[in-house]
Parts: sequence; C-alpha cells; structure tokens
Amino acid sequence: MKKSIFEKKWVSVLFWIVLLIIAWEIGAFIVAATKRTPANILPHLTNIIAAAFSTKQVAGKLTASEVVFTSAGATLFRALVGFVLGAVVGYVLALLMKLSGIVEKLIFPYLMLIQLIPVIGLAPIILSITGDINISRVIISAILSFFPVATNVLEGMKAVPKDNYDLMYTYAAPKWMIFSKVLIPSSKPYLFTGLKTGAPMAITASILVDTLQGDGGLGCMLSQSLKHAMNIYVFWLIVFFCAIIGILSTYVIGWIELAVTPSLRVERRTSRPGRPKKNKKALIEKNGGMNNDSSQIQKV
Amino acid sequence: MTAVRSRKSKSAKNAANAALTIILPVALGVLIVALWQGGVLQKLFGTDDYVLPEPTRIFSIFQDNSSAVWANIKITTSVAMLGLLFGSLLGYAAAVLGALKPGIGAGALAVVGAFASVPLVALAPVMNNLTRDVSRVAETRSFVAKILVVMLIAAADMGLNAYRGLTELPPYAVDLMKTYAASSKTVFLKLRLPNSVPYIFTALKVSVPASIMTAIVSEYFAEFNGGVGRQIRENILLAQYSTAWVYIMAACGIGVGTYVILMIVRSIIARKFHM
Repeated sequence: MKKSIFEKKWVSVLFWIVLLIIAWEIGAFIVAATKRTPANILPHLTNIIAAAFSTKQVAGKLTASEVVFTSAGATLFRALVGFVLGAVVGYVLALLMKLSGIVEKLIFPYLMLIQLIPVIGLAPIILSITGDINISRVIISAILSFFPVATNVLEGMKAVPKDNYDLMYTYAAPKWMIFSKVLIPSSKPYLFTGLKTGAPMAITASILVDTLQGDGGLGCMLSQSLKHAMNIYVFWLIVFFCAIIGILSTYVIGWIELAVTPSLRVERRTSRPGRPKKNKKALIEKNGGMNNDSSQIQKV
Repeated sequence: MTAVRSRKSKSAKNAANAALTIILPVALGVLIVALWQGGVLQKLFGTDDYVLPEPTRIFSIFQDNSSAVWANIKITTSVAMLGLLFGSLLGYAAAVLGALKPGIGAGALAVVGAFASVPLVALAPVMNNLTRDVSRVAETRSFVAKILVVMLIAAADMGLNAYRGLTELPPYAVDLMKTYAASSKTVFLKLRLPNSVPYIFTALKVSVPASIMTAIVSEYFAEFNGGVGRQIRENILLAQYSTAWVYIMAACGIGVGTYVILMIVRSIIARKFHM
C-alpha cells in the first residue's frame, strides 16, 4: 500500500521537499546553538517567511518584500527584454543558416566555439564597453539566450527526415513552403529546449550584472545586504526569490510550449493513467506522430 | 564515360565544399582579428583601445604576467574539475537510486532538476556562508564553497541524463534478460550500466562548459581573491582592462581546452563500448 502512494510523482517530490526542509531546520538549530550570528549562515525558515511579511522598513521607506520586488522589476524586465531579443535573433540566424550554406559554414564553428566559452565572464567588460547598466543587462541576457536557441533550432531543422523533403518535392512545393510547413514546425520542440536552457541563464546574467554596479536591482541589493548595509534577511529573501523565479521560468516556457503544441497535450493526456480516453483511435494516430517529436527532444 | 566525368566533377565539388568549410570560418576569424588589431572593431563598439586593447597588446601582457595567469588558471580549473567529479558522482548515484526505486527516485530527480534552474548568483553566496567554518584559511574555505556550487550544477545535468540511460533500455535487451531469468543485479551490471555510458557523455558535454562558467561566477562572490573569474572582475574595477582581457582569453582557453579533452576521452571510451 505504501508503495502505491509513492508511485504518484508529486507525492515523492513532496517527500523530498519535506526532507530538505527538515534537514535545513536541523541545520538551523545547530547553527543557532553554536554560532554568534546564525542569521548569516542558516536562519530558520520561519524567520525568513516572517521577514517577507514584516512591515518593518529596512531601506528608506520600503519593507523587505518591497525592496525585493522593486529591485526585481528593474532586473527581470531587462532580463526578459534581452531574452526575447536573443531568442528572436537566434531563431532568425538559424533560419538564415539553413537557407544559405555559406552563412552556415561561416558562422557555425563560432557558434559551437562560443558555447564552450564562459560568456558570463564577459559581463564586466560589456558593462565597461556600453557604460550603461541597463543596456548591459539586455545585451548579456540576449547573448546567453541567443546561443542555445540558435544551435537547438538549427539542429532541429537538420534532423528533419528525408521523407518529409521527398513528400514536399512530389508536391512541387516552393522553398518558403518547405520552411513554413516542414522546417519551422519540426524545429518547434528544439526551440523550446533552447528557450528552457536560456531562461535561467538570462536571469542569472542580469542579476550578475547588477552586482557590478551599485545602481539598484536584485544583485545590487544582494551584495549590499551581504555586507550588512541592509537587513540580512533581505539577502535570504532574494536568494529564495531568485530560486523560485529561476525554476518558474522553465515551467512557464513549458506551459507556453504546451499551449502552442496541441499534439503534446494529447500525449500528456494519454500517458496519464486513469483518465477516460475519448477517441482512442484518433489519439493513437496522433500519438504515433508525437513519438517522433519526443524522441527528438530526448536527443537534445 | 559521362558517368565517370560526373563522378569526378562531384568529387571535385565535394572537395571544394570541404575546403570552404574550413576556409570561410578561418577567413572570418582573420578578418575579425585584423579589424580588432586595426582599431575598427573598437570604433564599431564605440569604445577605445584602452577598454578593448589590440590582440598583440593582450598577448604581450600575458607574457609579462604568465606565472600569475597560470596560477589563477590552475585554481579555476581545479575547482571546476573537482566540482564536476563530485557532482557527476552524486548525480549518477541519484540516477541509480531513481532507476532502482522508481517511486521515490523520480521525486529526487525532479528536486535535483530544479536545482539546475536556480540562478548561480543565489547559490554562491549561500555556499560561502555555509562553509565559514570549514577552515581557518580563507583560500581553503572559498575553494570548498566554489566546489559545492559547481557540484550542484553538475549533479543536476548528470542525474537527469544518467537516469534516462539507466531506464530507457532497448526492449529486445530487456526481453533477453527475462529469458535468461537474470537477477536485477545482473540486469543492472550487464544492461543498465553499459546502456548509460553514452548518456554520461551527453551530460558531460553540457556540464563541462557549465561547470567552468559556474566556477568563474562563484569566484565573483568568493571570499578569497583568486581564480580567473575574480581576476577579470578585479582588474576591471582597477581599470586595468588589458590584464582583464588576458584573463578573459584564459577563461576561453579553459573552456575550449577541457572540451577538447572530453572529446578525446569520449572517442577512446566509445571505441571500447562500441557506441
């Protein structure tokens, strides 16, 4: 009986989360008993939650939560702008590379090479080149989301089976139609894989740029409260906030993918046991088509 | 006769194509370096050759400071590699747990996967604080903190990929094992383990560059003033842009170098496992 409970995934996820919370709290009790400043090392989770809802003003006339949210606005908005910009440019470049062999030959080796380079290390130099922190945030987020999107989409377009081209050839389809009917739809799962990799990176980059200059933003507040220029709980709130935003970003992209890919919804529904399966035959047919897609995702 | 000629022209075309594959990117690279050296790149970005010094100047500064640069490269590389090693082992252990105990394991993998999308900037300072008491020496403390951050990132990559390698088995192989009435231990050693080897390399392809990036970012936050990442930042704060560029180039070198090593190891093991 006990085993059947754990077969549900959310139960087992909950089990591990509870285990982590217990481990954290045990650690917090030990730290509180042995250290002079437990809040710096490992405060109780209850204290962090209390700090989130406290009305005490920590900076100017802002409470801890207000500090987090106002600075998050500046950071995350730029991260989003950069992310969208990078994704669009990356997608267009992948299309260009697929269209023209010369462009691909010219750029592809560099695309691979730059992925091996820690681009985030360039953050300080980009800040000193542009001189403006907001532009730097956008540029670095764009660079970081550009590469996973470009490489994944190109890989998706290259993975199209020859049969699909042959079929379009028998239809005497023009080139733009091959793109719109074959290449773009089949690269869709790859696009979302790229976006899922890029999103946390874009957020990380934007926060990192904040720490380089004292001009507001999450990263700036993070380093200030670490240096005790502000209540230390602001630091913990930002840490949890970043973690939640980072995890949420991949989930949000997953939801968008689900919303624009009807076949994926069908697959989810059929793979979930205990649900009434309405039109079984149609589902199986669609599922056959979908298996192809999911195997493509796994390859990435 | 015509067939021979067409084959000949085809092979000539292929050779030309292959030559272009090498010539075009090299030409682009040479062009960029030339523009950079000539100061056109600087004008294009709206800066001067102080913020963006020419390649020859960067190289001469590297030669002047080579021993310091190498020392910092050693710090960053050892952090990244030790974190990668421990993290991969941890991730693989989580994957084995997940494969053997599907219920609890799936949840563990979901939690490990969530760590992959936690921004580094949130992890690095927490690890710094947690490791305050590891050692009296700031250098050792920071070293442990940085390794822990890299470890978490590498563990997430390895865990998710290795789990797929351990569970997505070829159906015929599973059937074969059943006909042999193989014990689950035998299935694990003879089927699951070898099946997961290619997936380990899929994970490493992502996590080797990622762990170097993680090491560099966590150096920004570390207590101890060492490593390539920290040097980039410190030198820019001191407005020593040329030295900062030396370290940026060093970071790129580490990234490319470790990847090349990974590919060599992969090809050696691939021959052994017939991947």
